[in-house]
Amino acid sequence: MMLSRVAENLYWMTRYLERAENTARLINATTLMLLDLPRGASFGWDVLPKVVGIDHQYQAAHGAADEAGIMRFLICDDRNPSSIVSCIRYARENCRTLREVLPRLAWERINALHLFVLARAEDAVDRTHRYEILERLIERRQSVVGLLADCMSDDDVHQFVRLGRYIERADMTTRIIDIHAAVLIPRQQGPEDPSVGLLWIGVLNSLHAYQMYRRYVSVHVKSADVVDYLLKDPHFPRTVRRCFDEVESCLAMLPHNDAPLARLRVAVQRLDRMSVRDLDPALRHEYLDAVQSDIAAIHQQVATEYFQRNEQAQVQQQASSA
Amino acid sequence: MKLDFSAYRSPGFFDELIDEKGVPRPWARTLVEQFSSMDSSELTRRRAAVDAAIMTMGITFTVYSDGANIDRAWPFDIIPRVMPSAEWRRIEAGLRQRLTALNLFIGDLYNAQSIVRDGIFPIELVASSKNFRRQCVGQMPRFGAWAHVCGTDLVRDRDGAVYVLEDNLRVPSGVSYMLENRMLMKRLFPELFELCDILPVDDYTTRLYATLAALSPRPGDRPVIAVLTPGVHNSAYFEHSYLAQQMGAVLIEGSDLFVGADDCVYMRTIDGPARVDVIYRRVDDDFLDPDEFRADSMLGARGLMRAWRRGKVAIANAPGAGVADDKVVYTYVPKMIRYYLGEDPILPNVPSYLCMDDRDREYVLANLDSLVVKPANESGGYGVMIGGRASAAERDECRQRIIADPRNYMAQPTLALSTAPTLIGETVAPRHLDLRPFVLQSESMYVTTGGLTRVAMREGSLVVNSSQGGGSKDTWVVEDRQ
Repeated sequence: MMLSRVAENLYWMTRYLERAENTARLINATTLMLLDLPRGASFGWDVLPKVVGIDHQYQAAHGAADEAGIMRFLICDDRNPSSIVSCIRYARENCRTLREVLPRLAWERINALHLFVLARAEDAVDRTHRYEILERLIERRQSVVGLLADCMSDDDVHQFVRLGRYIERADMTTRIIDIHAAVLIPRQQGPEDPSVGLLWIGVLNSLHAYQMYRRYVSVHVKSADVVDYLLKDPHFPRTVRRCFDEVESCLAMLPHNDAPLARLRVAVQRLDRMSVRDLDPALRHEYLDAVQSDIAAIHQQVATEYFQRNEQAQVQQQASSA
Repeated sequence: MKLDFSAYRSPGFFDELIDEKGVPRPWARTLVEQFSSMDSSELTRRRAAVDAAIMTMGITFTVYSDGANIDRAWPFDIIPRVMPSAEWRRIEAGLRQRLTALNLFIGDLYNAQSIVRDGIFPIELVASSKNFRRQCVGQMPRFGAWAHVCGTDLVRDRDGAVYVLEDNLRVPSGVSYMLENRMLMKRLFPELFELCDILPVDDYTTRLYATLAALSPRPGDRPVIAVLTPGVHNSAYFEHSYLAQQMGAVLIEGSDLFVGADDCVYMRTIDGPARVDVIYRRVDDDFLDPDEFRADSMLGARGLMRAWRRGKVAIANAPGAGVADDKVVYTYVPKMIRYYLGEDPILPNVPSYLCMDDRDREYVLANLDSLVVKPANESGGYGVMIGGRASAAERDECRQRIIADPRNYMAQPTLALSTAPTLIGETVAPRHLDLRPFVLQSESMYVTTGGLTRVAMREGSLVVNSSQGGGSKDTWVVEDRQ
């Protein structure tokens, strides 16, 4: 028996944790990539707030697109609800209400993660310690994921833990592809420009996907291949296709899953029919927008079905079916 | 250096472990020997292990201040408080007697009021009681049990006698800390448990489950039991979560509940509404049902009282049970015991003066500097004035409050609360303490073995409430060997 409130808190707890790790990886991969750009090449840091979808808040709060300002906003600004510190704080607040359904250690580790970001996040604004601190954050967050995977029965509780994780992950993967495709590619002088390859390596790295891409796709990094891989590969755990499969397996274990599953299938079909290899970059952006709308619609169906159930209608439904 | 008990004295007070000559009491001898044989590095190591375990186990209570919640680690003293089982058996009998009478009293008050008609209990007290709920008139919960879970505070005075200080019949808390304290001691001092015959306390949550399950309006093996919490901001949230987890019950908030047209209580689950049979509520009466109590309450559910009166859901403690959790009503408990049971009280009350009584009030006002004045309806130690420690201005303010509303105040002599050796830095020092045993009542009655010992960690302080700087100790009831 699972309360709707508990399901919703679980779902958001894992979404926030996933978002914090994605942001940390995005920042680290971008920082490393910058170091490889040819001398004189300029990089627009304002790309990052756009990827995370908070560029309007950033402009309202700061304006100037300098590295330190953007890093502070993404990592430790309370005014940014998606900053790493905010995400971990929300995750912890949610976890407090979930202690009776989660393994005891989960609270302890998320609590420790919160203490860690409170103590160290500010230091990650500067490049000197940024990489190390964010890697440690990623490591701690992964230990939470491992704990949840290894210490929980594969029951309703666990399905909501996974749902939050994979819906957030699919969303972030499309954002990272989308922004790099739309914003960075128009600057290309030609397909052989080495800096284009570097940008796509950055994209792969920010999803921890470079190594698997090289093994299963190609040693050459080409934008069409990367986009195709990150959207449609069924095996790598951060591709949109794989996230959809995981969402489907979660929904299959839950009651009243008709509407969310139906919406998911629409999304899967669209993805399968999409041919991104020979697509004009501008059209590709539209495609990615459609995938993002699909993900939002899946979330909405999950919320409607599980978090906001209309009680009166259902009592009548139960009474009449009894 | 070893922990030295030889110089330990607690002049002017009864000490639980060491007598006035510095000799360990018989039931504490093994314990004192063991602690005396540990050198300070060993003790420091264990102390650190306890602190780490408290953080690891997440044993916290929440302090709400400056608009934010702070989780504080539970302050725990590693030297247990020890009582002999013979003494404990007498206390247990006294608690059973007291709670039997209190439950009869509550039922009587909401029904025939024979205790009023027979001139034992004044009708004015009912009329003026904040916790008398007209919504409960005519109700009689199953087994005549209203206060299903009670935490009774006991204190020991200078002469060694144990008195009842108050009965907490609304939403008493602390039992999870009693259980966690024992868990900590077993993890960190396993050898003590081999040397001393310590009676276990671990069956509490099983008993609580059985107590609640017996109340279910639907027959069946697996009633749906829910713990209703005000939410994560409540200072006892850890306990609510802990008890739900230990019992395998659902932890709910008011927003999870609704009452259907069939008067049954449902919770909103991912699989649709699920009926709730028993609600162990940790929310005050005032917040249970906005239709019948505070209209602005978000902590309960609309229609809950209707569902309860129609017998569709059991609520523990029953609404209205708090009428007996009133420091003025408290003074009548010995009379209740005689009236309902025809017995002499086994456990005495602390002598008390009722400010509504003219002679008593005169005495109280003339002796404010030596008395403790308590409001009738507060808990957590709030609003208490300790005359001997208050300033002249505070005493004067208290005088004005008594004159303005005599019904709401009572006074007691300042008790010389007993002490026990407590680890302060690297030495032992006496600290004052009390004891809160928990009593369960529905189909049958159950009393915890011992209870939660609360300690005033500050030197000389008598305030043991955790919200005001109190700590706690594991409480051992040991079999006598002589």
